[in-house]
Amino acid sequence: MEAGQEPPFAATGAPVLQHSRFHRLSDRWAHLAFLACSLLVVGLIGGILFFLASRGLAAFWPVAGNTGRTLSLSEVFLSTDWAPSSDHFGIVPFIAGSLGVTGLALLIAAPAGILTGVFIAKLAPTWMRNLMRQVMDLLVGIPSVVYGIFGLTVVLPFVSGTWLAEAPASGFAVAALILAVMIVPTIVSLSTDAFESLPTSLDEGAQALGSSRWQAIWHVLIPAARPRLLTAAVLGLGRAIGEAMAVQMVIGNNPQWMALMRESTDRAPFLRALFTPAATLTTELVQELPNTPAGSPWNNVLFAMGLLLYLLTMVLILATRRLGRGKEA
Amino acid sequence: MKIRFLAQTILAGLLVTGAAQAQTVTVMGSTALGPIVKKAADDYMKAHPGVQIAVSGGGSMTGLNQVTSGGCHIGISDVYATPDQDKAGVKNYNIVVQPFTLIAHPGVGVGNLTAQQAEQVFTGKINNWKEVGGKDQKIVRVIRPESSGTRAVQKKVILHDQDFSKNVLIQDSTGAVVTAVATTPGAISFVELEHLEKNKARVAGIAYNGVACSNEAVKSGKYPVFSFGHAYTNPAKLSDPKVKQTVDGFLAFILSHEFQQNVLKAGYLPVDYVKSLKTKL
Repeated sequence: MEAGQEPPFAATGAPVLQHSRFHRLSDRWAHLAFLACSLLVVGLIGGILFFLASRGLAAFWPVAGNTGRTLSLSEVFLSTDWAPSSDHFGIVPFIAGSLGVTGLALLIAAPAGILTGVFIAKLAPTWMRNLMRQVMDLLVGIPSVVYGIFGLTVVLPFVSGTWLAEAPASGFAVAALILAVMIVPTIVSLSTDAFESLPTSLDEGAQALGSSRWQAIWHVLIPAARPRLLTAAVLGLGRAIGEAMAVQMVIGNNPQWMALMRESTDRAPFLRALFTPAATLTTELVQELPNTPAGSPWNNVLFAMGLLLYLLTMVLILATRRLGRGKEA
Repeated sequence: MKIRFLAQTILAGLLVTGAAQAQTVTVMGSTALGPIVKKAADDYMKAHPGVQIAVSGGGSMTGLNQVTSGGCHIGISDVYATPDQDKAGVKNYNIVVQPFTLIAHPGVGVGNLTAQQAEQVFTGKINNWKEVGGKDQKIVRVIRPESSGTRAVQKKVILHDQDFSKNVLIQDSTGAVVTAVATTPGAISFVELEHLEKNKARVAGIAYNGVACSNEAVKSGKYPVFSFGHAYTNPAKLSDPKVKQTVDGFLAFILSHEFQQNVLKAGYLPVDYVKSLKTKL
């Protein structure tokens, strides 16, 4: 419709909507309702952050309600010794554990997920594409405890029975594998979208210039989709770093794993570390938070770990937005 | 339909809050003791209409903590109160006896450990089953998290208050512990006797000092590895006489001969089985 032209229904004499008092009023109410909802959501998120921060920071300041001593930042964030009953509160093993297991999971899941995305978006026949998309969407919705049970009752016994007759298989390797399986569907879905949203002219242009299918994918499509692929990876990372249930069932939950590694005389320490029971921020929280007395240094440090996790996730979300905006044409 | 459902939900919610305002006695703490105390509460409420007893979990430490601060009327716990909590005036009732046993993966080839061997296995001095007469296989120690009541009992009775080895596998619940022991070659752990009886097909029991754990062995004083389930009150915080009356009545009911017969079915032993025995826990 060109600018300045009369709307056709006015010309045909159809009733024009009146901006009656009633409409103006309901408009205002709707506005208020939307505002109230958004304030509620913002308030809830802010409230949770405030709760976490006030309980977590109480570990380092003498606040009313604290029942034990006040800790120093260095003995919490720089120490690898975690033995709350003996008054040691170093959380480095959990930070290293969280970063290690999510990093490993991403190393497995990102290439697998992105290549599956290419396959679904560019190579698969239509019927298979539709099927795969639906399967991936279904997989995203499986509760994590299912993955955990699978890891505990199938993967762990298989690994320790097959390759490691002597040791428990619990540790980074199996935990990262389970996490990778969990986040692959997220990465596949998002990278499929990324490839599908690319203009077909890119693909066609590359092929017109004589490149093979593989060259077109490797040299044209993947670089063009890079910002959105990074977003997919970071969202997968976000899901992995916050996962507690599945990880705690298979990782072995040993807070002393770093001390153990230092004492070990193994000739292949890295391999050994993959199969040493370890712990992460989330696994320690889920195991100890409900059972520790409120206001004790132990409980406060656990809340500080929760706060740290919250901040880590926040950084990941900000990174995602930055990458998403990125160089996308 | 939706509106009716909503109305019912709201009504139910109001009823619950209403009931909470009437004299409700709140019980909090050990998830292990939760079911048996819940059973006692149900029986007691049936016999005393109008009385409300609400049992919730949270763990032994939470139960002790809450009862000390007046956050609940009765705190149930697998472990004794801390010296600070004793100083605050909490009062202990031993309500049940809980036998514990060592369990292992069926293939380890060992059926008995002496007290000293058991201690050294968990402190890390003994690392292979062949050192205690079994297969040449690494020992995998499966234990509970630091805040667990079972772990506190194990540390006291088996390790004589020494620290656990750093080389351990930690599982959050007794169920997960049993699964880990059943599926990990060389694994050893420490659980309530009832969990061994329920999982005889998957894990093997290990005798302690030549005596296998059983109700009779505990009763006769031959088997020393057991603990009490505790209920704590804080008389200073029980100001309402009506609440105090219900609390006292309820605890008396749990300790009554009538109810103590029920605890056997739940995997515990009546307290009077061991009244004459000396125990560290």
